[in-house]
Amino acid sequence: MSEQDTVARLRTEVREWLGQNLPDNWRDRQRGDDIPGFLAMQREWFGKLVEAGYATPHWPSEWPGGGRSLAEQIALFEELARGGAPRMSLFFVSLYHAAMTLVECGTDAQRARHLPAILKGEVWCQGFSEPGAGSDLAALRTRAERKGDRYIVSGQKIWSTLGHFADQCLLLVRTDSSGPKQAGITFLLMDMKSKGIDVRPIKQITGDEEFAEIFLDEVEIPVENLVGKENEGWKVAQVTLSSERGLTLVELTERMALSLWRLVLAATGGSGDTSRLDQSVARSIVDISARLEAMRAMLATLMANRIAGREAVGDASILKLAYARLSRDFTALGLRLQGYAAMRDTSYVLGAGYETGNWMFDFLNSYQYNIAGGSNEIQRNIVSERVLNMPREKLG
Amino acid sequence: MTTATDEMRIDPEEMREAAQRLLADMLDRRAAWEGKNEIAATLEAEISELGWYQLIASETLGGLGQSFAALAPVYEELGKSLAPVWLSGTMAAIDALQSAGDLGSDWAAAIVEQAWRVAPVILPHGQAGGAHCLPMVPGAPEATHLLIVEEGGRAILAENAAPGVSVVPVQTWDLGRSYGEVEVVGLADGIGSIDAALVLPVLRAHLELALAWDSVGGAGQCLTETVEYMLGRQQFGRPIASFQALKHRAADHKVAIELARSLAGRASGLFADRAEGWSVMAAQARILACDAYAAMAEDAIQMFGGVGFTWEYNPHLFLKRALVNRIIGGSPDAVRDRIADEVCSRALGTRTV
Repeated sequence: MSEQDTVARLRTEVREWLGQNLPDNWRDRQRGDDIPGFLAMQREWFGKLVEAGYATPHWPSEWPGGGRSLAEQIALFEELARGGAPRMSLFFVSLYHAAMTLVECGTDAQRARHLPAILKGEVWCQGFSEPGAGSDLAALRTRAERKGDRYIVSGQKIWSTLGHFADQCLLLVRTDSSGPKQAGITFLLMDMKSKGIDVRPIKQITGDEEFAEIFLDEVEIPVENLVGKENEGWKVAQVTLSSERGLTLVELTERMALSLWRLVLAATGGSGDTSRLDQSVARSIVDISARLEAMRAMLATLMANRIAGREAVGDASILKLAYARLSRDFTALGLRLQGYAAMRDTSYVLGAGYETGNWMFDFLNSYQYNIAGGSNEIQRNIVSERVLNMPREKLG
Repeated sequence: MTTATDEMRIDPEEMREAAQRLLADMLDRRAAWEGKNEIAATLEAEISELGWYQLIASETLGGLGQSFAALAPVYEELGKSLAPVWLSGTMAAIDALQSAGDLGSDWAAAIVEQAWRVAPVILPHGQAGGAHCLPMVPGAPEATHLLIVEEGGRAILAENAAPGVSVVPVQTWDLGRSYGEVEVVGLADGIGSIDAALVLPVLRAHLELALAWDSVGGAGQCLTETVEYMLGRQQFGRPIASFQALKHRAADHKVAIELARSLAGRASGLFADRAEGWSVMAAQARILACDAYAAMAEDAIQMFGGVGFTWEYNPHLFLKRALVNRIIGGSPDAVRDRIADEVCSRALGTRTV
């Protein structure tokens, strides 16, 4: 069967599966729901995806559902988005960052211990950023000292997605401060139940608590939890950071494109009667729609290049910048159209991504895409320096 | 519509290289700006000689039956080089007429065989009978014919000097291209007429995509030249290209241009296959590309600084071309208004909750 046929077949299969398995009331259940409700919904949905093999298309082929090509993975993400499925929020780091790091850089024992556990719902978080190491990640200072068969770790991590629900953590620590800052970093796996860990959720501008701070006070981590070699963790971290291969952007873009109707609905005062559209608003919608289609087209080109192994330097930064700006403008328009109603509606759907239907929540949340994973400013540096060949900043 | 089979298809990248060679050999893009207008006619003759006008015409009309895919890189290269020629009027006329019934095919065949050069003239509904003036039609002074299409009415192919039509060359801020003021004062349909609905959608989409590619090409070139200038210009002991404020602006333009290029590519593909949504997507590609070009060129003058304000340096060539591209054949807002209802209705059609 050709790649094209395989992808087409997968799409049909996923659509049918969604028809039978997507809880049709999940949005109602999640609107204004509490945290236990959110966790229960996430676990229920994750269980179904694992069972169908749709949680692990990127895993090696010896795993159920694994061994699918990047083209198939893209199709799967698109179909889940188009079908209006919940996002995999709680398990995303486990399935992608943790699993792919272990697959590529872990030991057999680490894989044997964690990969099956991940499929049973082990939740992972990432302990990379620190208060003093955001865009400049390699400046991280959380210290680890080796004593016998353990590392003793002290320091502070921040921006760990859903870290307060995590069982395990992908941790970057400093084991050497004498050389260049990238050279003294080590990659460890940390059990979140270890003594000396204090996790505090960060209340965000949305009121939501999606991120956490992790305080580490002489936490003991067994040496067998080392990934790669000591002081060579920076290389491993690059594997972690590239593990999702653009699939998040595929999903988010698709979700945004498929919620354009919400803008039109807001623009018609909820009636859907397009003859009521204000001219200037209609023009703004045309422009947003054009940018969305452009984003989709640009993303399709990038993913095709990635599949063919001819991605150009900086392509990912151009895309991320485009998406970030679009996410802000898209939600800002919704906010403007809804007026008072947007300011008063404080209920939203947890775990939905760009279709919460709450413009203020989505608008506030769009800052995430403009800041996290390399802020717009960092992306602009990359585009100007590596794509346009303008001189590099002298960095410390 | 194209009739070429896959083996007959010309690689678009070959067309790009051909265009680059021709333009590199023949084009002095500032010629017209220094009062030397003959270059346009020479280039136009060469392009005719090379048979580029035959590309889009079907094989039954004696053409090469290529799809729009073969033309897109040509339009982009013309835009990049600020070319003084306007191919898309004739190309779009052939593209639209050859699928518009017997009479349309006859006209398309005549355009190809007799090397007519066509300037499309689109009139608002109800304007074909009365006096109506289009202030700036590209290529009209040199056109042998005008394809006059009244929205919701008829399409007529008229000779440039036909009674009821007047074409007066006009000088505009964009000295690099020729424009004419076209006035239509009641027209007899001497050689018959065609239902405008058969002609207009393809005519318009082709023109809009040509403008989109012209703008993508121009914007990209403008960015390249602006970055080059900033790399060479030293102030405070360093190239101004090293200042982050300027780097970030350049990066934003790059993003806007790449988005425009992506949409133009997607829209061209849909148009070549006449796949669903091609008409709206062509209009959106034009809006995005023209906006990106105008924003880039406006900023280019600022980034060049003082010399950007001089006639001698080139940023103003791009700015004037970009601003003209944005309005010819309908202002951006007119284009938005034309497709808004379809965009919104289509979005509502995907409503899931």
